[in-house]
Amino acid sequence: MVTHDLIIVGAGLAGMRAAIEAIKTPDLNVAIISKIHPVRSHSGAAQGGINAALGNAAEDSIESHTFDTIKGSDYLGDQDAIEIMCQDAPGDIYELERMGTIFSRDKNGRIAQRPFGGAAQPRACYAADRTGHAILHLLYEQLMKGGVMVYEEWHVIKLVVEDGTARGVVAINLLSGKLHRIRAKAVIFATGGYGRVFHNSTNAHANTGDGMALAYRAGAPLMDMEFVQFHPTTLKSTGILISEAARGEGGYLLNSEGERFMKKYAPNALELASRDVVSRSEQSEIEEGRGIDGCVHLDIRHLGRDKILKLLPQIRDLSITFEGVDPIDEPIPIRPGAHYSMGGIKASVDGMTSIKGFFAAGECACVSVHGANRLGGNSLLEAVVFGRRVGAAAAKFAEEAELADWSESALKDAAAEIASLLNRIEGEPYPKIRQDLQKMMIQYVGVYRDREKLETARVKVSELKARYENVSIQDLGDVFNTDLLGALEVGNLLDLAEAIVEGALNREESRGAHSRTDFTERDDENWMKHTMAYKAEEGVKLDYSNVTKTKYEPTIRKY
Amino acid sequence: MRKKILIRRFDPETVDESFLQAFNVDLPQNATILDALIKIKEEQDGTISFRKSCRSAICGSCAVTVNGVAVLACNSQFKSISWVEGDVIIEPLGNLPVLKDLIVRFYPFWHEVEKTMPWLEPKEEIGEKENIVSAEDVAIIDESANCIMCGCCFGDCTIRETDDNFMGPAALAKAWRFVGDTRDAIKTERLELLSKACNAWDCTRCNLCIDRCPKGVRPLDQIVRIRQEAMKAGIKDNKGARHALAFQSDIKNHGKLNETTMPLKTVGIIRSLGMIPMALRMQMKGKVPFPIQKDIEGIKEVKKIYKIMEVDE
Repeated sequence: MVTHDLIIVGAGLAGMRAAIEAIKTPDLNVAIISKIHPVRSHSGAAQGGINAALGNAAEDSIESHTFDTIKGSDYLGDQDAIEIMCQDAPGDIYELERMGTIFSRDKNGRIAQRPFGGAAQPRACYAADRTGHAILHLLYEQLMKGGVMVYEEWHVIKLVVEDGTARGVVAINLLSGKLHRIRAKAVIFATGGYGRVFHNSTNAHANTGDGMALAYRAGAPLMDMEFVQFHPTTLKSTGILISEAARGEGGYLLNSEGERFMKKYAPNALELASRDVVSRSEQSEIEEGRGIDGCVHLDIRHLGRDKILKLLPQIRDLSITFEGVDPIDEPIPIRPGAHYSMGGIKASVDGMTSIKGFFAAGECACVSVHGANRLGGNSLLEAVVFGRRVGAAAAKFAEEAELADWSESALKDAAAEIASLLNRIEGEPYPKIRQDLQKMMIQYVGVYRDREKLETARVKVSELKARYENVSIQDLGDVFNTDLLGALEVGNLLDLAEAIVEGALNREESRGAHSRTDFTERDDENWMKHTMAYKAEEGVKLDYSNVTKTKYEPTIRKY
Repeated sequence: MRKKILIRRFDPETVDESFLQAFNVDLPQNATILDALIKIKEEQDGTISFRKSCRSAICGSCAVTVNGVAVLACNSQFKSISWVEGDVIIEPLGNLPVLKDLIVRFYPFWHEVEKTMPWLEPKEEIGEKENIVSAEDVAIIDESANCIMCGCCFGDCTIRETDDNFMGPAALAKAWRFVGDTRDAIKTERLELLSKACNAWDCTRCNLCIDRCPKGVRPLDQIVRIRQEAMKAGIKDNKGARHALAFQSDIKNHGKLNETTMPLKTVGIIRSLGMIPMALRMQMKGKVPFPIQKDIEGIKEVKKIYKIMEVDE
């Protein structure tokens, strides 16, 4: 059996940042497990920026960043956690730069910053429109420099918990197909989001919320899962992300009448209102018949060729390749698409969960700094700030903890599950179940929700779960069995869909990204609280906990 | 549109040799190679293995070879693969060992990247904020910063195909990202390493890496930049630099190459001795020109050009 002091699952921004912090502890044996190579992680697809009140482009303050984030969260974010994130942000960005991140620069040679939605100042530090890519590769460079062991293309299938303490994980080495026990004193999950629950999604094929589902099954509560961010600008045909930077640099949103319709919905911020507001506005325009073939237009032509080539080269390439539209000459057809999970594994500001020795960081965690709606530029920031903090906290925990025993049943149970899947000759192939889930979720649990839709979704999820009991695969081999991986991922998506639907059905208000047409107002009296979803014998058990408030009183949220 | 697609299959558990398997698949007009692979796997044969993730040309997972050309499957639409005549043939990336079907082992690629010390060695701390770097200084490393490590350039690299000691275009482009970074403290050390052990000079400038790169990294251009910086730094005691200098001296002084004396100048007298048997065989076939040759007619003009360029040897 392999043993490490600290195991980190996931190698995007949060996971790698955690590892780089943890190896600063002398003699601590740290390893990363990731189902894809670290630089393939979806953090690399983040385009527009990472927020920090550096004040390089205009006067700015940590207080302003904090307030914008709390307001953006529709007052569901925990204010103590948000204060920490915004306070730590400048230091973390300077540190990334000194490690070697290639940021775009202003005329004084400082890190360039651009306006982003929901932000009072130009606060998003950027590397053209490939900011996530720049930081992801920087962190992998640091991983190589630090000589961190990486179990590359190993897929974790079980978080092992005994007596309320994490003992390690069971993982498949995809290259050989063999199951392994990996024992550790502390485990961090930094496994990202579950965007692939939905049909229209900006997310990678790999984003199946594996870590959230494993933690949920191991007894950790998932928090605020009903809050799913729909990004306002995703390509019509493929759902591929077009950065908020396109609007940050001055792009317009137009309906079929050529009208900048955001003036009706957010008269002050216009296109730079928060994402939930912009996505709802687009959806309303489309549903009320002012869409263009099921979408609206993002127009950046007036920025001019030079600015587009210099500041938005990737989104130009993406528009040309995947939509056949050159944004220098034509508006880009876009629509809202599932993008980010505000919810996740309930975690403290040091990543601690309800399971001793088990930590979570990044999108898979819910700290909660995003509350009911995340601001653009705050996800990379969360991954970096809390990746560092959780790396340090987990390293400290591992240094002081004793290696606990591990019963043999954990591996046997996991092996039996895999074997039953491989031995099922007759059954339903998993791709159809996944497709049905994704289409159902976007139809009934999308931008606008109501009781009828959500009750339908609840029934359909349980039907899909019943079908999944009989799922089968064609590839029965050991070496790089992507069929087996695909089937396991669908199992994770189904558990998460169930938690999302239950949370959404129960929350009878509209707040941030959760928008109920039958309960259109925010209801602070009854619903200023976090949803906790626990896995029960049958379905989901919900509970609620208080939102932490420091000094920011909830007010009406307008942009 | 209906497409016939041939996929190279290999399963190390059941067969010794790879083979091409044909599939017919209906696809929308703007479908990509990745769309086709997913459709075939999900509807026809679940045993096919290939890597995929972002489907938007940023993660670098899905590089494959399509009718002899390395591409990202996700951003290659059928209408854009203009070199394909007839059936589409999808095979694993070249120059890397195949694990299963379209999945190659990537460790040789990463092994080469790691040789170049691909991380910033920062200069002394400069206070608490960011380093000040001009936009122009960032622009010099901008192309190499675009690299997504997909391996398309490596898979089709003609030098790597014949020489496992050549580290390939991606690793060298990554190396330039640090050589050209004004924040780095060990530029000279890097150039020494790249000129000798890492053989930045072994590239024959075939240009394929520039053609294959899906992200505009232009690896060859970065390799040339490394060479230029190495020469400027006076790192000339290696066969690559000597060859370049000999080349330049022949042209400047005679207007053409003297292929007989070139090996002497590049690798030195001792090592040239090892080439004698081959030279003799070439001599018998009339392939070795007489070592003493006349200058070309316009040599005066050539010399004038050099004078104008103020070439400094």
